Amino acid sequence: MGFLMALSSRLPYRVWGDLRGFVASLGGGVLLQAATVGQMGVLLSRIAARSTPARLDRRELVRHMEFMAIESLPIVGVTALFTGAIVIIQAAPVVQRFGAEGLLGWGAGFGVLREIGPLLTALMISGRVGANNTADLGTMVVTEQVDGLRALAIDPIAYLIVPRFFALIATLALMTIFSDVLALVGAALAGEVLVGLTMHGFYNGFTSGLIEFKDVAHGLIKSVAFGFIVALSSCHFGLATTGGAPGVGRSVKASVVASATGIFALDYFLSFVVP
Amino acid sequence: MIRLDSLGVRLVDRRRGDRRWVLKDVSLCVPTGCIYGLVGPGAAGKSVLLKTVVGLLEVEEGLVALDAIDVGQAAPLELELLRRRIGMAFQNNALFDDLTVADNIAFPLRRLFSPSDDEVREKVKERLDCVTLSGFQDRMPAGLSGGQKKRVAFARATITRPPFLILDEPAAGLDPVSSQRLFDLIKRDVTASGSTCLAVSSDLDRLLPICDRVGVLVNGQLLFDGTVAEARNAADPRVYQFINGLPDGPL
Repeated sequence: MGFLMALSSRLPYRVWGDLRGFVASLGGGVLLQAATVGQMGVLLSRIAARSTPARLDRRELVRHMEFMAIESLPIVGVTALFTGAIVIIQAAPVVQRFGAEGLLGWGAGFGVLREIGPLLTALMISGRVGANNTADLGTMVVTEQVDGLRALAIDPIAYLIVPRFFALIATLALMTIFSDVLALVGAALAGEVLVGLTMHGFYNGFTSGLIEFKDVAHGLIKSVAFGFIVALSSCHFGLATTGGAPGVGRSVKASVVASATGIFALDYFLSFVVP
Repeated sequence: MIRLDSLGVRLVDRRRGDRRWVLKDVSLCVPTGCIYGLVGPGAAGKSVLLKTVVGLLEVEEGLVALDAIDVGQAAPLELELLRRRIGMAFQNNALFDDLTVADNIAFPLRRLFSPSDDEVREKVKERLDCVTLSGFQDRMPAGLSGGQKKRVAFARATITRPPFLILDEPAAGLDPVSSQRLFDLIKRDVTASGSTCLAVSSDLDRLLPICDRVGVLVNGQLLFDGTVAEARNAADPRVYQFINGLPDGPL
């Protein structure tokens, strides 16, 4: 404290003012993030309290899953095909130099199943489905539809949020499996065209025993965790929307940024924790 | 009966960041079967008052009671049961975008009472006929005009024949003929069902003739509570000016 007081007396007034403003805005930002995390925790507890099989609206769950899957299928498919091919394009020069074409199937499979498949699918679903979910909920909030539900004695968390939450997690996990398969197809096709590795050779590399079930499980666990992040973030920012149509735009932006940040942070930790 | 005693509600002021009083010391009573018209200039707190009555906003001070139930103190389950007895039409209509007109109108009926499909169809048809929207049952809300949305919102609010009817600008955006028909329908419905109705509207020429009592809310304070005839000759110059629609005066 004494140091700060001594410093403040030496610094010109304008510099001291700027410094104080910087610290205040930094503190304000930290408090805002802490409040957001706290609000997400409250929302999560409300979702948990309404997630009993008896209270789960299965019709809404299936309706949202269908909608989310149809909406994300094309973009996830195209992304996966190109991702598999890109893996081969990047690996081909090195593999050819060492004559290790037989390892391409293993390399592509290992990378796709453990990391690239879940990560890119989560980012795609976050941008496509998560953003749409936030916009949808945000619009419902600003047009009083959520208040309308409450006035009709219908719990918005049980009716709107819980089915979307579980639908998003399930959709992301299913899309990850779909994306993994297509990425491997893309990789095998690129291997045949670019390196001259036959489909059979690619398959042999993939099933050489170097890839185990735990690698598949690793990716699927990550996909469920990423789905949790995207679902929670998109629902929270949707429900927290204020300020009319511009507010919906702000919520979508915040949701996508929070989801992407959460996905990468969680990926880092899960890579250590999950075998 | 709807009873408000010294009601106070505070909301966050987004520009200033603090909480300010939107309603202060509001007391009124709407007897059972009565139509109560709540009027006042813009941003007076009328919609806030309606939302507080339904329990959508927190009661900061005083009492809001529907029949014998204290809305501010009611347990969640008690509040849920109370809301089953309330029909509300919102200022922005609050129609569900992904449901058709028929599904919107049938929504409270299906979710709260689980009736047969035939019963739902019959009641939806009756409501659509009442609001002169026959043949619109398969349209989506996005394809309706502002006035049509208002009528669908009213049909949804009244399909369960609720004992309490809360209407926030039910005729905003309607042409004079449709507006008059809607107010006539409100009067007929309330008389037939014996509901207690609290209605906010800026269309005084059509609202006041159907009201049993009227309240004038200005800047969050209820300046007047009485019959329409008393309101037209009110001593308070603000009430007199507003009720008689005079351009010159303290407002």
